[in-house]
Amino acid sequence: MADISISEQDFEKFREFFYRKSGIQFDDSKRYFVDKRLIERIEATQSGSFRNYFMLLRVQASNAELQTLTNLMTVNETYFFREEYQFDSLVNSILPEIVRLKQDQKPIRIWVIPSSSGEEAYSIAIKLLECWPAINEVDVEIISSDIDTHILGQARQGLYSARSVAQMPTRYLQQYFRRVGQNWQICDALRDAVEFTRVNLSDPSDTRAYRGFDVVFCRNLLIYFDDISRKAAAETFYDALNPGGFICLGHSESMSRMSSLFRVRKFPDAIVYQKPLEAR
Amino acid sequence: MPLIKPGQTPPSDEEKRRWPRDADGLLRALDDSTPSARRCSARDMANAENDAQRALFAAALLARLRSEHEVSVREVMLTTLVRLGDIAALSGLADCLRTDDTTLRNEVIEAMREAPAETAPIILELLGDAEPSLRVFAVNILESFRHPDVEHWLIDLISHEANVNVCASAVDVLCLTGSTASRPALLALRQRFPEEPFLQFAIDLALKRTAD
Repeated sequence: MADISISEQDFEKFREFFYRKSGIQFDDSKRYFVDKRLIERIEATQSGSFRNYFMLLRVQASNAELQTLTNLMTVNETYFFREEYQFDSLVNSILPEIVRLKQDQKPIRIWVIPSSSGEEAYSIAIKLLECWPAINEVDVEIISSDIDTHILGQARQGLYSARSVAQMPTRYLQQYFRRVGQNWQICDALRDAVEFTRVNLSDPSDTRAYRGFDVVFCRNLLIYFDDISRKAAAETFYDALNPGGFICLGHSESMSRMSSLFRVRKFPDAIVYQKPLEAR
Repeated sequence: MPLIKPGQTPPSDEEKRRWPRDADGLLRALDDSTPSARRCSARDMANAENDAQRALFAAALLARLRSEHEVSVREVMLTTLVRLGDIAALSGLADCLRTDDTTLRNEVIEAMREAPAETAPIILELLGDAEPSLRVFAVNILESFRHPDVEHWLIDLISHEANVNVCASAVDVLCLTGSTASRPALLALRQRFPEEPFLQFAIDLALKRTAD
């Protein structure tokens, strides 16, 4: 096959298209990363040129190629118990307040987005079982979502490298995992306890079914969005949360810079954001 | 283990929805009595399918914006107006700066700051508006506007602007964002307004901040 190249104009065109579809903005420093993956897919689909491939992306009814490309373009690096202080805040401050305010018998619902390969959702599940005694009396649902269908498959499988579980207390590792060669397999009980779903946070038709959550974890995703997409995401979370519900962002992210709809709550372990109780 | 898996797909708002999700339904839902329905409608409008629909939604959002009292709904409406990127939507937003409603004005300023590429042409128009207060608002938008030409626009403005308040606002922003490139225009401005001690003070501060 002849050498395929991505021109400056191709890059600009693709960048705009991908941003509109995913909310993810690639700056100029990502040019090599983007070009490499585009060329990989142009070859795999035998499109022959960027022009043909771009046409495929735009007109394919199933969006299958767009999904494949999205899977390649998203960054999926995480590990168990990353930024654990927020999980401490969850069990020490957030959940006790939610239980205190809850006026119905519905389960507490936690939404983790992006899911990546599931480490965060499973970490939350372990944290609840180990550090929140009220879990014996209150039902909790954990839903973990990502735009990348390939990584969701890995999350459901629950097989992790030694590096991925390195930050986890040994006792938890022994209790909830079993060794499979060089890797660690999470137990079936935890795999069965977390629901993994495919969601594009920038697409209202994907997110409109996500309602009635008490806590949202959205850490280290919005740093890849531009200002207006971040604001739109914050508004999506506002509708996903129950009044009084909480949102936890990554340590370098601030809701105050995205939206004025949430209140800042300073708990001993972490700063989080709350949808006002009187919100309608 | 009291961790439970949702038995089915997360509950949908579909059954609660009173209007179909077509263009007509979205327009009607914008007048729904519940804020969450109005927010959903405004958010869905960002997915307009073509230019005609974009223009239709922009007009509806702009018409509703001034009478919408729920802050959370207004915020989604403003986000959608910016995301639509339609020139009529953005011009309509800029028109909201003429209102006496201070809250709405501030919200519009915030919204316009968040999409510099889309709103840049409108900002340039505002900087040339006949009404000085509009020019001041445009300068306020530039205070945290991520666009490479901000300094150039402000230099251009203070090189010919006759209104001292507009100049003072521009100097304040140059004080924060300007470089040595601003200095000749700042020095010339000081010569043009020798009788305005506040402006002289602001220019001196800006000159200090923009020194090598």
